[in-house]
Amino acid sequence: MTRLVEVPAQFDDRSFDQFAGAFAEANKDAERLLFDAHAAEWASPYGLVGLLAAGQAARRGGSAGAADRPLLTAPTNPEVLSYWTRAGFFREAAELFEIHGKVPRAKAAEHSDVLLPVTPVRAAEDVHAVVSKIQQRASAILASELGLDPKATMGFAMALSEACQNIVEHAGTGGWVAVQAYHWRRKLARRVVVIAVADAGVGFRHSLEPTQSKRFGDRWGDAAALEAALVQGVSRFRDPGRGQGLAGIRRYLVRWDGKIAIRSGTARIAIVPKWDEDVPLKDGLPPFPGAQVLIIIPEQGSTEP
Amino acid sequence: MIQYIDMHAVLQQSVSGLYTDLVTRPTGRVVRERIEQAIAGLGGAEGAGGAGGAGGAGGAGGPDGAGEMTIARIDFAGVGCIDYSCADEIVAKLLRDRPAVLVLSGISEGHREAIEPVLTGHGLAALIERADGTLDVLGAKGAAAALLDELVARRCAARRPGGTYALTLA
Repeated sequence: MTRLVEVPAQFDDRSFDQFAGAFAEANKDAERLLFDAHAAEWASPYGLVGLLAAGQAARRGGSAGAADRPLLTAPTNPEVLSYWTRAGFFREAAELFEIHGKVPRAKAAEHSDVLLPVTPVRAAEDVHAVVSKIQQRASAILASELGLDPKATMGFAMALSEACQNIVEHAGTGGWVAVQAYHWRRKLARRVVVIAVADAGVGFRHSLEPTQSKRFGDRWGDAAALEAALVQGVSRFRDPGRGQGLAGIRRYLVRWDGKIAIRSGTARIAIVPKWDEDVPLKDGLPPFPGAQVLIIIPEQGSTEP
Repeated sequence: MIQYIDMHAVLQQSVSGLYTDLVTRPTGRVVRERIEQAIAGLGGAEGAGGAGGAGGAGGAGGPDGAGEMTIARIDFAGVGCIDYSCADEIVAKLLRDRPAVLVLSGISEGHREAIEPVLTGHGLAALIERADGTLDVLGAKGAAAALLDELVARRCAARRPGGTYALTLA
């Protein structure tokens, strides 16, 4: 029997919990899953990497065999299909899903807002490649379109590097990163650059449990683990220099009025800038494996919502 | 003696020659180990070399012979980005695990942004050598002041007219 998981028509961080709920429900009895994205109208980089993480988690028995891969119906809207292709989604999805629907051939995203197409991150070498690529592609956009000081490009690369390293060091599996610039009409009426990182690994709670659970006692859970990592800068390693990465990302985002949100397990934590109305911490969300990180850097200037 | 380290050369030796960025902990670890070998006189880094100075072989001892001070001049020219993990793995650990004075040159503002908070967090300090040879401090205030005082006391650095400091060794 195949269980259906509907991909939200507008698939981003806001609709992700709806998707996670459908995924958790359908994935309960280890049946083969069908991710239905035929009606998708739009997906953010967060939605795309999150869908890949779901595909990774839905692979039955950990096998790469065709019959064990979940199914995916591709979007039918040609523009949506074209964007998902340019964003590099189908290149990665081909390994994870049995794809149904017409998928165009991949085209290079040279002159688009896709600063970094969906890119796998499995090892330190991948992080080097990501950082190298983003510095070539992003400097002009960060400086000219977002009004960031050209010197901020290096900080952006640092933030991206640390977000990706989170997968390499903590997930216990591979993940994906994507970076895109777009005009965010709904929220800010200005341009933003978005970094989305997702994996279907062990998640923050599992990663930090051996060193942190006792300290939190009954409070220990996904929310406490996220709070420990993002707010208190703790790491699963006892080395006193660990935990620099997320702290560094926070400093960078404070300086450029940016936002970070991390979802792991059943909780989501965010450092919320004034222009956003997100809540700092949510618990009791539908469970979803691994960790999903969203970083938003807005065009500089007034960021009144 | 001041040990000269060409960070870009060490990086090229440590990872694929395609990359110029100091990112990730594994890369930082390999780079630091090569620098440690170079400082220890093992010639572990291709980009490492000694510059003769007043202290003689093995360290920069003061004229009063009071102990030895290892000084490593690390040149960041040609290095793209350094992330916080690499800053911790290389700069902080070199200072923490091996009492040496690090003089960083060729440093951009971006490099400084990554290194400074890491050093401050550990209560450590290093020196920056500007293009004109003057020194600036980087890291925890107390540790930075103590470092500069010690270098002056050992005559490894001297105050210049105008109140700036510079190394006295080549």
